[in-house]
Amino acid sequence: MNRTFFFSITFATIVLGVMLGFQFRTTSASNDVGPRDREQELALEKKNLVEDLYKLQMEISELSTKLDQAGIGQREADEALERELAKIRRFAGLSSVSGPGVELVVQPGQAGLSTVNAPRDITDEHLLKMVNELYSAGSEAIAINGQRIAATSEIRLAGKHINVNGTPLSPPYHIIAIGNASVLKSRLELKDGLVDILSEFGISVEIQEKDEVAIPAFTGGLFFDYAKPVKEN
Amino acid sequence: MNALRMKNFYWSVALVSLVVGVILSVQFRMTNDMQHNETIRRTQELADQVAQLKKEHDVLQPQLIRMREQLEDLSTGPLASQIKAEMELATIFSGITKLSGSGVEVTLKDSNASQKPTDNPNWDIIHAEDILRVVNEIKAAGAEAIAINGQRLVATTEISCSGPAIRINKNALVPPFVITAIGNPETMEGALKMRGGVAEFLQFFGIQISVKKLEQLTIPAYSGSIKSDYLIEAVADTSLAR
Repeated sequence: MNRTFFFSITFATIVLGVMLGFQFRTTSASNDVGPRDREQELALEKKNLVEDLYKLQMEISELSTKLDQAGIGQREADEALERELAKIRRFAGLSSVSGPGVELVVQPGQAGLSTVNAPRDITDEHLLKMVNELYSAGSEAIAINGQRIAATSEIRLAGKHINVNGTPLSPPYHIIAIGNASVLKSRLELKDGLVDILSEFGISVEIQEKDEVAIPAFTGGLFFDYAKPVKEN
Repeated sequence: MNALRMKNFYWSVALVSLVVGVILSVQFRMTNDMQHNETIRRTQELADQVAQLKKEHDVLQPQLIRMREQLEDLSTGPLASQIKAEMELATIFSGITKLSGSGVEVTLKDSNASQKPTDNPNWDIIHAEDILRVVNEIKAAGAEAIAINGQRLVATTEISCSGPAIRINKNALVPPFVITAIGNPETMEGALKMRGGVAEFLQFFGIQISVKKLEQLTIPAYSGSIKSDYLIEAVADTSLAR
C-alpha cells in the first residue's frame, strides 16, 4: 500500500515538473513562428531575384547585339532602335500580342443552382481581384472584353457598367490572359481560391486553357500632361 | 518515529522527481532551441544572399538603361526622330523610366488604436485589397504614373498578400505604405476623399490614411526585367529574331 502511494507521488511530481518546464518554455518562446515564416519569405524572394537577374542579363546581351548592329550604319542603327521600341511597346501593352494562356468567362451564376447564394452583380472589385490574381500567377498580358490592361488602366464601377480604360463594359466578362495556361488555371482554381470565393457570391467563372489566345493593344491616347522623364546620371 | 521518517523520505522523493521533471523538459527545450537556432542561421544566410542579389540587380538595371540610351544616340538615320518620339512615350507609359511631376502622396498605416478584445484583429491591418482599391481610384482619377514604397507600377504588377508583408513586383514590402502618383493633384485628392469614397471606407476599418498634394515628386523606374516568356507580337514585326 505504501509502495503504490510512493509511486503515485513520484509519478505526479515528475508530471508536475514537466508541466512547469513546458509552461516556462511556451511563455519564453511564444514568437517561435517568426523565423520560419521569414525563411520561406526570403527563399521565395531569392528565387524571384535569381530569375529576374537571369532575364536582365539576357536583356543586356540582346541590347549589346543591337548596339553592335547599330555600329554598322545609319539604317541598321534605326532598325535596332525600332526593335528595342517594339519590345518596350509589347511590355507596355501598346501592341497586339498572342501566346498560350487562359480564357475566362465571368458572369452571374445560374439562378436555382444554389438556394443560398442567389446570383449577385459582378462588381469592379471582383474583376480587379481576378486581374490581380492572374498577374500574381505570372500573366504577361490581360484584356477584359477587348480592353487591354495597361499600367494606368482602372477597373471601376460606373453606374450599371464597369469602366476599363474609360470604356463601359457589361457582363458577361471575357478575361483573356497570356502566360503559362495550366499555372494560371490552377492558381484560380485553388481550394478556397478566387473561383471558390466568387462562387459563394453567386458568380460563375469558367476557365479554359488555350494554346493560343490573342490580346489587342491598348488603344487609349498617350498624353502626359504632368509626368516628365528624368535622365539618370 | 518510523512514520516521521517515512514522511521525510516521501518529501525528498517528491522534490527529486520534481527536479527531474524540470530538467527533462529543459533538456527538451534546449534541443528544440538548437533547431530554432538552425532556422535563424539559415534565415540569416538567405537574407545575406538576397541582399547580394539585390546589389547585383542594382548594377545591372542602370546598365540596361545606359545601353538603351547609347542605342538612341547611335540612331541618326532618316527615321530616327520619329522612332525617338515614339520611344519617349513608350518608355513613360511602360514604366521603365524615372519620372517627375506634380501629384499626391498617400500614406497608409495600420491602426494604432488599442484593440478591444471584441474587435476583429483583422480589421486594423492593411490588406493587399486595400492598396488595390486606393491604386484603382487614383488610376480612375487620371494618374500618369504610380509607385508604392519605391516600386513602380507597370502593366503586369501584382499586389498580393504574403504573410505579414505585401508583395509588389515580387518584392515583399511592409507598412507604412507610401503610394506616390503623378497627375492632377486636386483630381486625385478629390477622388480619394470624396464622400463614401476609399479614404472614408478605410478609416471605418481603422486604417490611417493621409493624402498630401505635392508640386513636385519623382517616381522611380521599374527595376525588373521586361523580357517576356510567352508573348508573341501579333502583327508583322521588323525584328529578325524573337
